[in-house]
Order: sequence, then structure tokens, then C-alpha cells
Amino acid sequence: MTIAMIPMPIAARVAPTLAVEGLSIDYGPVQAVRNVSLAIAPGEAYGLIGESGSGKSTVAYAVMGYLNSGRVSGGRVVLNGADVFAMGERGLEAVRGSVVSMVFQDPMNALNPSIRVGEQIAEGIRRHAGLDRRAARKRTLELIGLVNLPDPEAITLRYPHQLSGGQLQRIVIAMALALEPKLLVLDEPTTGLDVTTEAVILDLIADIKARSNVALLFISHNLGVVARMCDRVGVLYAGTLVEEGRTDDLLQRPHHPYTRGLIDAMPSVTAAREMVGIPGRLPDLAQVPDGCIFQDRCVLATADCRHGVIPMETIGPGHSSRCLRWRSCATELAPARPAVPRASLAGMAPRLEVADLTRDFPGAPLFPFFRSRPVVQALRGVSLDVREGETVAIVGESGSGKSTFGRLVAGLDRPGGGRILFDGRDISALARARGRDDQRDVQFVFQNPHSALNPHHSVEAIIGRPLRLYLGLRGRALRERVLEILTAVRLGERYLTRAPRELSGGEKQRVCIARAFAANPKLVICDEPTSALDISVQAAILQELRRLQRESENQTSYLFITHDLGVVRQIADRVAVMYLGEIVEFGETADIFTAPQHPYTEALLAAVPEIGRAEQANRRDMRLEGPLPKPTNPPTGCGFHTRCPRVLGPLCETMPPKQSKAEGHWLKCHIPIAQLRRLQESG
Amino acid sequence: MIELIIRRTGLLVLVLLAVSFMTFMIVNVLPGDVTAVVLGDTASPQQAALLRERLGLNEPVLGRYIGWLADMLRGNFGVSLLYNVPIAPMLAGRLLNSTILAVLALAVAIPVAMGLGVFAAMHRGSTADRVITAMTAVTFSVPEFVKGLALILIFGIWLQILPGSSLLAPGQSPFSDPAILVLPVAVVAISMLPYFVQITRAGMIDAFASDYVRTAILKGMPRHVVALKHALRNGILPAVAVIGMTLGNALGGLVVVETVFSYSGIGQLMVSAINARDIPIIQSTVMIVAATYAVGNLLADVVSIALNPRLRP
Ligand code: SF4
Ligand code: SF4
Repeated sequence: MTIAMIPMPIAARVAPTLAVEGLSIDYGPVQAVRNVSLAIAPGEAYGLIGESGSGKSTVAYAVMGYLNSGRVSGGRVVLNGADVFAMGERGLEAVRGSVVSMVFQDPMNALNPSIRVGEQIAEGIRRHAGLDRRAARKRTLELIGLVNLPDPEAITLRYPHQLSGGQLQRIVIAMALALEPKLLVLDEPTTGLDVTTEAVILDLIADIKARSNVALLFISHNLGVVARMCDRVGVLYAGTLVEEGRTDDLLQRPHHPYTRGLIDAMPSVTAAREMVGIPGRLPDLAQVPDGCIFQDRCVLATADCRHGVIPMETIGPGHSSRCLRWRSCATELAPARPAVPRASLAGMAPRLEVADLTRDFPGAPLFPFFRSRPVVQALRGVSLDVREGETVAIVGESGSGKSTFGRLVAGLDRPGGGRILFDGRDISALARARGRDDQRDVQFVFQNPHSALNPHHSVEAIIGRPLRLYLGLRGRALRERVLEILTAVRLGERYLTRAPRELSGGEKQRVCIARAFAANPKLVICDEPTSALDISVQAAILQELRRLQRESENQTSYLFITHDLGVVRQIADRVAVMYLGEIVEFGETADIFTAPQHPYTEALLAAVPEIGRAEQANRRDMRLEGPLPKPTNPPTGCGFHTRCPRVLGPLCETMPPKQSKAEGHWLKCHIPIAQLRRLQESG
Repeated sequence: MIELIIRRTGLLVLVLLAVSFMTFMIVNVLPGDVTAVVLGDTASPQQAALLRERLGLNEPVLGRYIGWLADMLRGNFGVSLLYNVPIAPMLAGRLLNSTILAVLALAVAIPVAMGLGVFAAMHRGSTADRVITAMTAVTFSVPEFVKGLALILIFGIWLQILPGSSLLAPGQSPFSDPAILVLPVAVVAISMLPYFVQITRAGMIDAFASDYVRTAILKGMPRHVVALKHALRNGILPAVAVIGMTLGNALGGLVVVETVFSYSGIGQLMVSAINARDIPIIQSTVMIVAATYAVGNLLADVVSIALNPRLRP
């Protein structure tokens, strides 16, 4: 054990920049945050991890004295030596933006759409530092340079909608840094950004931290991000801080069943693991149970856990856990198991064959009956096949065309060209024009379960509909089959009469899956089915999908569309990597995740932050700079050449050849496979 | 921006063409003989023939339509049946009078509405907010002529401080006696208010709940800067669009108000023409009203675009 080597937390030696002391916040009857204490020293980065309903954002905003409709029912927040809740409106105005500032989750909405971004940065500087327009402008330009945006002069004159998500987040960061605050609160600063953009933003924040003595409060649901960015971590569950410690210590040796559950639920890009979700759901925060807040979902729970106050116990230097049985965590909780390798499906018959699929979206015409604007080329000749019982993942960032592809196969849209064959039949038509068998055989599950279910129908009606429609079931037989399928997705009989609004996000997605599976489909298209869900729920849903596939009578195939490489690694047999409307690499999952890869695949993987990944694995040389090219005018030749870190020169402006490193695997690049291997293995 | 304006203008031309066609067809789709409708049953055949000649009803329909359209574009609106004078000069004077009334009403209504709306949104749920909401509901539900008559009763007859009628001699400018404008302008403005106030209030409430306002607060911007700089710009956008769209209602209100006050505007002209079955005037006034409505909408669009950078490329 190396615990003896770990120094005392810095917070214990210097006056902290931020001290949250026993903070409790209520929203009406809901006790959103209960008795949370933490301290952050100057120059330290503290990560606050939690899922939805954990209260992490409430804490973040409370630190800035911003409670919205919340009420402080106990404790205080001491910022730079001053009590935030005792400041009054004037005092808060003076502190916000100058002593403490914030980087928001959704930069597009966080910036004012009607004000130029330069002015949005400058107004704070004028206000707090009392600079005149000239001086504030000079400082603004300086800041925009500091966050690595090119051509600051031009950028200041832009409105938010004219910039990309990554650029906007840099503007927000520049705004937050403008007055060199003592504390920077980052509320999910990279959630919603593409993974390659996220990597660049995280690099920037890491650089800022290295250069200055600013303290960071980093709010996130992503353990990988926190692992990369933070010195210490606190884990929030249902408004309670359940574990706290040094980042590597806590994430390598978690001593609370919840932390442990979260870590096991994280899909990893480095290894295929058996993913385990956390069963159950968040307790009702209007009626907090006596005893441990996690008791209903904890596998270690005993009678002692159900009453009294569970104390935060110190279990090692700077490491504490709010669990009575923390000693048992390491011994009694089963370690994460590697995934059972799946049998090769190479010999199976093809179920879906897509050839040269294209789809253009014409721009709206300028004038009625006049020429239309440039065409968005969403898909530029995509070919792919899915075998019986196989899961093929399509992975790509926003603008890659992956969702358009899914919509075409699902029959929600018509292709511009190419063919879609299902069991040898052409199904390039819209779903409603397809034959009844094809309709039954091809089903889909969408990203947002909240809008996918008719709010006026009961769960029974929702799942029963395809059964009546496609199988002609009625009465007893119908009810029995509904129950059977509901049990298969682990929702019991008591869910039959519920309406969608009475369900949690995970439960809704289970209903969607049940509906898709009700009539024994042969192909299910899953478009980001878990990205709106918490990771503990995601793991359970993915597990469910795999089990349903294993047990299906029809050898159900999945076309799985996602941006999450970890999920891909866990669930897919084969993977297609898409960039700008084209597949750049396609092959078995294991082949895709090992070198040599297409440079874009390599860049994607290098961008994923993950627990236990050494800093050198965070390869900054593989960052993608520059904007995604316009889909109205994609680059000639290799579509990736405008951003490729390994670009060769003019050669890449010509069509790259298809090369193969293994059976059934291909990638499109001008660099020969052998040379790619040399380049990538040397790092 | 230019592109959008071009597109909207194109649409406007199409709409006006459609309206002109329908207006023109009024003459042709009236059941029975037009001349009988205009002259009544007692007219002699000679009178009828004369009228047919004057209306040009003896020529092919399409040719007449095109001729009529071309004449109108050249500013020739034909000759009034009733007064037997060219319509164009009469229209011009009336249009000017109506425009004066409408513009003055807007000039009063917009700032007042925005002020009230913003104030109500900033003090949402307060007594002042509830009073404003209640007042707008009441004024909204009372028809224009009742408001007009009530004002005439109060200021014209009881207090006798303002003229109850706004009669103008032909060619007389309303500015020659500004007092006659006060009551009509007040009625039109009051009729516009409720809608504008509620839209402004709703827009501002949305803006106050937005993330960017939260950003401004967390940047340490003082309250008035947050409200007037960050929230207002976005909060009034829906109001601007609505003002354009309600212009039609406002014009409808204008017809009533002009009639109530005997104010010689285009609305009053239209009403009297309808009563007298003066078909050329009916056609011309309908066209003018349609064109004004369409142009008003276009202007509102342009202002929206000017205020809203998101609509620019
Ligand atoms: S205190 Fe008990 S219920 Fe709570 S986490 Fe520990 S073992 Fe589980
Ligand atoms: S062809 Fe050239 S630009 Fe394209 S991926 Fe290969 S090296 Fe990069």
C-alpha cells in the first residue's frame, strides 16, 4: 500500500479558498442537499461527482450565493474568508465574477444570443475592474488569445450562434477567467460537447490550473473527466456526501458501495468488462429515510444501516467514507469481471445489407421557385452489413451522419440513393410503405425516452399495440405476452397501469425496449438509447439489451448508434466509425480498439478521459484542431484531411485507398498499414 | 438579412396578387347582375347598360383584370360611382389621415405597453402585476365602439374638454386641430395595449428564466443591467413580431373608430362605400388595407431581424 506516502491534503495546511460547512438546502419539502462539508485549497481542483438528483449543481450554485427557489436550512459557505449568505445583494454582486466565477454546462444557452461575445466578456471587466472601454477591450482580446481562439479581433464581434460549441465554451472560460478569480466553479463544462472537443477544453482547463493558483470546483457525472482533472474527489448521492478522498486513491480503492457501483458502471474503452448497473432508484428526497441514504440499493446493507445517523468515517489519510461497512467494500463486493468473449458471427447470414447509401438535405430556396441553397450532404455513400444475431455499432461525433443513417434504415426517411436490403428484400421505402412483416421485423429505440412514449397511454397499451397490430393478439393471450415482455425488461406487473409520467428515465427506456421487442423483431435500431440516462442506469439497460439479444428466438440483430466509445467497446461485435457522412473504418470491435487504426479513430480514442489512464495516454498530439468542415462543402479526397493530425499533404486531397489489417476489417487512409503501426506504436 | 427580406418581399408580392384577384372578382362573383346590385331593382335598362359600360363589364374578364391591375400600379384607381370623381386623390388624403391616426396610436401604445409589460414581468406576482393583468383583460374584452362612445361621453359631453367628433373638411389636415385626434388615438392605442402588454410580459418572463440571464447575474451584473441589457433585448422580440401580426386587428379597429368619430380616414371611406355599393372604391380600399397589412408585417419582420442576430447569417 502506498497510503503512507500520500501527503496530508493541502486544505489542512493553508486557509482554504472555499469552505462549505454543513450545508443543507431545501426546495419546498425536498431536501436537495443535506449537511455537505468540503474545503478547497488555493490551486487545488476538487471534483464533485454525482448522478441526476445528487444535488451537485445545487451545491455549485450555492457557492456563488445563487439559490433560485432554494432555501438554506443549515450550514454556511465561506468563500475567501467571507460568509456568502451574509453578503446581501450588493456584496454578492461584488464577489460574483471577480472572486468566484462559473463555467456553465451548456454554453450555447449560457451566453446571451443578442450580444456580441466580446461585449459579454468586456462588460464584467468594466464593471468589476472599473476599466474604461479601451482597456477592457484590450483585456478581452488578451483573454480570447489565452483560451486559444484564433483571430481574437474577429471573434469578439461574433454572436453566439455564429460559433461552435467548443468555441463558445472557450468564450465562457475566458469570461470566467477575466478577473483572475480565486475560485472557478465548473458545472459539467464538457457535457454535451463532442469527445474530441471535450479533450481540447479539458487540456485548456488543465493548463489554466497549472499556470495559476485558482481553486477549481469541478462538477461532473463523468468519473473519467474527474479522474483526469482533479486532485481530490467527493461523491454525492441524493444530497449527501458519501465518500471523499484523493482522486487516485478514491477511484482505485473506493470504500463506499455507491462509489464502487458507479465505477463498475462506467463503460471502459480499454477493456471489455461485464457491466453492472446499480439496481433500484433514488429515494424520495421529500421523505429521507432514517439511517443510510443508500440503504435501498446497497448489497451490503444490514439492520444497523436502517436507523440513526451514519457518520463520515476517516478510513485513511484524507480519505473518508459514510458507510458503516466500508471495510467490507474491498472484500465482499465482487470485482468487475472481464466480459465473456462472444462467439464469432463471421459465418452468419447477413440480415441487413446497405450499399452506397446517400442522403442530401436541400437548403430552403431563397425565393419561391428559385434556385435552392447549397445541399447538406448528410450521407456520402455508406455501405455496411449486419449479420444475424450481431450488434454493429456506428460511432461518430455530431455531424457525422450516424443518426441520418439510422433513420433511413428505420424507414423514417427516404434515401437519396443506394440500397437497403433486409433479409434480401429492398426496404428503402418509408416505414409506413413497408410490408407488414418488414414493419414488425425492424424496430427502433430512441435516445429520448421521454418523448417516445404517448403520455396518455398506459404501459400496457403501449406495449400491447405492436402485439395487436402485428401478431393479432387479443384478450388473455395479449395480456400474458405483455406481462412476459415486461418481466423480461425487469418491470413487474404493477407497471401495467402506469402512465409514462409516473416512470423514471430508466424505466421509460425499458418500456421503449419492451415495445420494440414485443413482436419478436429481427433488427432493432438503437439510436443513443442510453445517452439521456445516468451511468448506473445505462449499465443496466445495456446489460438488458445484450440479454434480450441472447435470448431472442429470432437472433435479433442490433444497429447501435452512439457517440460513446466505451459503450461501443462493451456492446458491439463490429464497429463502423463515421466522419462527415462516410465510414472511415469498419471491423471487429477488438480490431478497431487496437493499433493500427485510422487516424480519426485514433484521435477519438485518445480523447476519451478514463479512470486509471496515465497522463501520457492523454495524447495531446492527437487533438483535433479547427472546425468540422461544412457538410454543404465537404473536403475533397479524404474527408478528414483538414483536421487529421497525421495528414501527409496534397496526397490526402485525393481519394484514399481501402486497406485491411485483419480479416473483415478495412480503413480508408493514404498511410500504409505498416507505417500506421509504426507511428502509433511509437506514440 | 438581405436574403430574408428579399424572400419576404417575394411572398408579399404573391399575397397581394392573390388578394387583388379576389377583390377584382367581387364584381364578377356577385350573384345576379352587378348593375342590379348597384342600382337597385328600379333602374332602367339604359342606366344598367351605362353602368356596365363604365365598369367595363363588356370586355373579357382576364383582360379586364390585367388592365385593372396595370391601372392600379400606375396610381389610377378608377372613378367613384357615387361621387363621380377619380378615386386616387381621395384615397391619398384618406390614407394619410388614417396613417396619422395609426402611427400616433402605435407611438403611444408601444412604449406604454413595453413599460407595463417589463414592469409586470420584473415584479411578477405582485399587486402591480395583478392590477396590470386585470386591466388588460378588461380593456381587451370591451369592443372599440363602446370604448369610443364611453370616451366621447366622458370627455366630449360631460367634461367638454375634447371634441366628441373628429369631422374634417375635405383637404383639411388633422393637425390643423390636434384636439380632434386625442380621443380616436386614445381608443386605438387602448385597444392595442392589452395584447402588447401580455406578450411583452410573457417574453420578459421567459427571458428572466433563461440561462443567459443567470449568467449575467453570476457575472455580478447589477439588477438593472441584467433587466435592461440582457433580458430586454431578447424578451421584446416576440412582442415585435406580434405587433406586426396584430396590425390587421388594429386596422379593423381603425374602421370602427373612424366611423364612431366620423374621422375621414380610409376605414370610414370603406364603410360608406360599402353602404353606397360604390364598387371601385370598395376594391381600392380593400387593396390599400391589404397592402398596408402586408407591408406592416414585412416591417415587423425586418425589425425582428435587426434586433435578433440569430436570424442573421
Ligand atoms: S451504511 Fe450500510 S447501507 Fe449504507 S452504504 Fe454502508 S453498508 Fe450500505
Ligand atoms: S488519408 Fe491523409 S488525411 Fe486522411 S486520414 Fe489518412 S493521413 Fe489523414
